[in-house]
Amino acid sequence: MNISRARWSAVVTAAGLFAVILAGCVVPVGGGYEDGGVAIGLGVDYYEPYGAVYGGWGPGYHVAPYRGGGERRDERGGGGREASHAFRPAPASHSIPSIPSHSRSGGGSRRH
Amino acid sequence: MRSFRSSNFAWQALLAALFSFPGAATVAAAPLQLPPIVEPASVERHVGKVIFVELVTPDLGAAEKFYGGLFGWTFRDTQAGTIKYAEALLDGHTVAGMVHREVRAGEQRQPAWVTFIAVRDVDAAKTAALKNGAKVLFEPHTIPQRGREAIFADPQGATFAVLASSSGDPPDELADPGEWIWSSLITSDPDTDAAFYQAMFDYEVFDLPADPGFRHLMLATDNYARASLNSLPASRPNMHPHWLNYVRVDDAVKTSAKAVALGGRVLVEPRVDRHGGKVALVADPMGAPFGLLEWTDAQSKEVTK
Repeated sequence: MNISRARWSAVVTAAGLFAVILAGCVVPVGGGYEDGGVAIGLGVDYYEPYGAVYGGWGPGYHVAPYRGGGERRDERGGGGREASHAFRPAPASHSIPSIPSHSRSGGGSRRH
Repeated sequence: MRSFRSSNFAWQALLAALFSFPGAATVAAAPLQLPPIVEPASVERHVGKVIFVELVTPDLGAAEKFYGGLFGWTFRDTQAGTIKYAEALLDGHTVAGMVHREVRAGEQRQPAWVTFIAVRDVDAAKTAALKNGAKVLFEPHTIPQRGREAIFADPQGATFAVLASSSGDPPDELADPGEWIWSSLITSDPDTDAAFYQAMFDYEVFDLPADPGFRHLMLATDNYARASLNSLPASRPNMHPHWLNYVRVDDAVKTSAKAVALGGRVLVEPRVDRHGGKVALVADPMGAPFGLLEWTDAQSKEVTK
């Protein structure tokens, strides 16, 4: 009985020590993902609010990069006056840039 | 005898628990190893450039099937704990990340592609974001190999992320078909948002002609256009401001039809945009919206005054 109890106590003690050592090795990484309450280290929980209805783009609704032949709004009949903006407009001497033209596979020319 | 059997059972159970615990703890503790966004690593830095996009989806398998079928992407799956992640590749190049995330019961959220904009210092970006009216959705944190990132909501509520990539930023090259080529922010207040993003990324802001009552702004750095800002469409005045990202395609009509055949939806029918090519907006089978943009090499040119 005494032997059994002593063995049992030793096992429980060893288990406890082992658990403490392991717990010390478990380090939450960064912030971010909550995975069952455990921080996994990836910051993604950002689903958009549900119910967004897309579309409704009228004929003059443009989103794509610019290309040749256009003009800046502040060049259009402004009589030289600068419109009021919350942002700092690009200098009038700067032309409208496009996206890169040089591809990995070659062709086009790279602008810098 | 019963006592011995009981004691023996407890002993075995304890041993089993002891030996199983290290494995469980290792899995729980394993950090998610994400691949670098640029391989081989680059020394290039392009602050303000959209350098990565990441899909958050409740069905990773269905997403892989859809995007693989639509663009020919292939995938490398990885897992840490219960987090499942897929790296999307096209011709060996990383084009996107995909993360599985359950939509909890009663939760009204929509899967989305998240836009990552390049910064040099994520913590400085957080300071600037807060100073200029943004909210922090996820604090700056470091992901091994990937870099340091944080997620914010801009002053109008649109979600975006910043990333200081450990492997440098992708070079300024024209995207191949099947790769991300463009980004736009659809927002309730383009003027104020332009000021916010300019403060964050030092963009040059170009004010482009638009229909009366609308704004169309262009953000640029390094003498390259990086994104457009647009007013919310007239028929969607109460829509939540959001970023949209566009994949380059050869034929927006055919790709839209293919998206539908693969279980997606067309949100905006293919239409000719100012640049002369067609633009369309589609959603994957789980509802995440993204754009399609036709582009030819000859279209990348500068407007000269």
